Amino acid sequence: MKTGLKNEWLGNIRADLLAGLVVALALVPEAIAFSIIAGVDPRVGLYASFCIAVVIAIVGGRPGMISAATGAMALVMVTLVREHGLQYLLAATVLTGCLQIVAGQLKLGGLMRFVSRSVVTGFVNALAILIFMAQLPELINVTWHVYAMTAGGLGIIYLFPRLPIIGKSLPSPLVCIVSMTALSMAIGLDIRTVGDMGELPDTLPVFLIPDIPLNLQTLQIILPYSVGLAVVGLLESLMTATIVDDLTDTGSDRNRECKGQGFANIISGFFGGMAGCAMIGQSIINVKSGGRGRLSTFTAGAVLIIMVVFLDEWLRQIPMAALVAVMIMVSIGTFSWVSIKDIPRNPLSSNIVMLVTVAVVVATHNLAIGVFVGVLLASLFFAHKIGRFMVVKSADAGNTSERTYRVVGQVFFASSEQFIASFDFKEALEQVVIDLSDAHFWDVTSVAALDKVVIKFRREGADVKIVGMNAATETVVDKFGIHNDPDEVAKLMGAH
Amino acid sequence: MKSIIACIDGSIIGDAVCDAAAWAAHKLHKPLLLLHSIEKQQQHGADDLSGSIGLGAQSELLEKMAQLDQERGRLALQLGKSLLESAQARSSHNFPVTVDTRLRHGDFVDSLVELETEARLMVVGKTGLDHGGNISAIGSHIETLIRQVHTSVLIASSPFSPPANFMLAYDGNDTAERSLERIIEGGLLNDLPCHLVMVNSGQAPQEKFDNAVTRLRREGFDVTAALLDGPVFETLQNYKAEHNIELLVMGAFSHSKVRHLFLGSNTLRMIERADTPLIVLR
Repeated sequence: MKTGLKNEWLGNIRADLLAGLVVALALVPEAIAFSIIAGVDPRVGLYASFCIAVVIAIVGGRPGMISAATGAMALVMVTLVREHGLQYLLAATVLTGCLQIVAGQLKLGGLMRFVSRSVVTGFVNALAILIFMAQLPELINVTWHVYAMTAGGLGIIYLFPRLPIIGKSLPSPLVCIVSMTALSMAIGLDIRTVGDMGELPDTLPVFLIPDIPLNLQTLQIILPYSVGLAVVGLLESLMTATIVDDLTDTGSDRNRECKGQGFANIISGFFGGMAGCAMIGQSIINVKSGGRGRLSTFTAGAVLIIMVVFLDEWLRQIPMAALVAVMIMVSIGTFSWVSIKDIPRNPLSSNIVMLVTVAVVVATHNLAIGVFVGVLLASLFFAHKIGRFMVVKSADAGNTSERTYRVVGQVFFASSEQFIASFDFKEALEQVVIDLSDAHFWDVTSVAALDKVVIKFRREGADVKIVGMNAATETVVDKFGIHNDPDEVAKLMGAH
Repeated sequence: MKSIIACIDGSIIGDAVCDAAAWAAHKLHKPLLLLHSIEKQQQHGADDLSGSIGLGAQSELLEKMAQLDQERGRLALQLGKSLLESAQARSSHNFPVTVDTRLRHGDFVDSLVELETEARLMVVGKTGLDHGGNISAIGSHIETLIRQVHTSVLIASSPFSPPANFMLAYDGNDTAERSLERIIEGGLLNDLPCHLVMVNSGQAPQEKFDNAVTRLRREGFDVTAALLDGPVFETLQNYKAEHNIELLVMGAFSHSKVRHLFLGSNTLRMIERADTPLIVLR
């Protein structure tokens, strides 16, 4: 332990408590809103947020990060809830947790390095768009009161922090919710409220085993969703961890975070909560408010459940329009506006990866598929770029019956075709020398391509001599162990 | 060449650490390396409780926090440099040793672990900066340090004066035997009178103790042997007070962290209570 458990919990007590309080206040509307996106009672999201925040505070690998019920996860579970109901969601949540623990055990947290910056940006932007789109049903076919209230709510959220002194000491989303609720109650508006959306909690969550038949069929139903949830949850959590790392200039334990997320989801599932993960927006709010330690996350969860249990009569009265305003703020805060500004400066391939990720997510409503496509595309672009680092130079040896080809660069699946095309088989030669001392053969495809070239020349009646074969094919053997030995790498890449 | 590494942290005990390290370096004919590690304080900046995130919230916040850290980091750098300079002046003034300094970022223990391959002996102060003037409090790093490094550690207490004798608590187990070997090989303690003390001889056979005494005598140590009875910790403390022991020598923790949780550790208790310098041998 580098920092020490005591320091992680008690290193920053006052600021952690305050920040936790701010986060709890901001979490309530979000947890309700995300439950509504998923199509379950607000109770499910609130219980989930409590369980996940409290458990992750204890077992997570990134102190100061906030995890709870999230939009990204809610979006993945929509069809499951619609087609099979809440009990299957709870079971899927438990299974998600198990998968995430396995991922943590297998140290899959390290796989995040294959997810490029553009994919991450695409993920974040798509998430923001989806959260925004999920608010639209609340704004269609409603009276003008709802529009006025949403606009007023947004006004309060963005203008209140500009007030001197009190602007920075009260969370503006809370001010928005309280004043809009008070307003709607005072003038007795007949608009949709949180109470209309389903059951709110009036007790602490209790332990129960999901009421589902334990058979293969059930597994077939929940497994695809659990895999999606596990992937999306880990992606967003690890991305958020990176953001918190950057902001606080400290490190995090990714594999511990994976296992922690899993454990938190298992607990959440057994206590009637939906699956969740780390929240980008809330974590930024936490850091901004001074939260750094595990205590801040714990406080957020604990305060949330206390508020919810004791204030359920009041929560019921919150107009949906006020919630919509808060969620619009969340989606605006989540969206990476810099990525739009940077489009002209970034390479075309990065932009395509980002935009395709966004498009796929918005089209499929599944963040996991979007990330998969993004990563695939980014890898293809990369392979294509590296494939261009290959040339075949040739020089004849003074007489016309002999020619030396010198191969320089990377020969692998993406450049094999170009490699073959670089030889002139029509030339009538007696002797062909292929010098591979400056080439790297990365895979079986490249070796097959070389074979093909040799055979083709032989069929034309030439003798083929290959020089520097050993050095060139060293990379084919999967000697990936050498990557941490700088001397070996230098020898392989530059010395011959 | 391996050197003596001294941790200078700007607390009141820094001078004692400096002197103890210079003494050890002089006796062992090794260079002295003064290390200061800038431990990053947690940032606060809990001024904005508005809980709202607008356009570009993340980059704006990152910029602000980086700026705060930069200012704090600059001050810490200056402070660290001046601490090391004065410590360097002090040690080369007291003993004719070659003194080098090193300024690092990060946790003290981490910096020490990184330097371990260059270390012959590490010297730390009994209380760190966090404890202010409270001398009996144990420096927060010491336990972690002793568990993580495999180098002997000299824990200095303030003020330091070169010791005139030392005491080794012997209990016949492997740790004690290894300590014995280290004392003989080490060279730091060679010309000091040695008090070899065993409490509760029931623990180990008498011959083992006698062997130890003979071994030390053969190597030219001036040994006072004592076999005592009673509760281990208190008896050792009493003996120490009666014979004006000026330096305690002990083996590192002889059991695992789990056992320590249940049984407590004599090593740690000795460190906590000691008002003399103490060497934990590895």
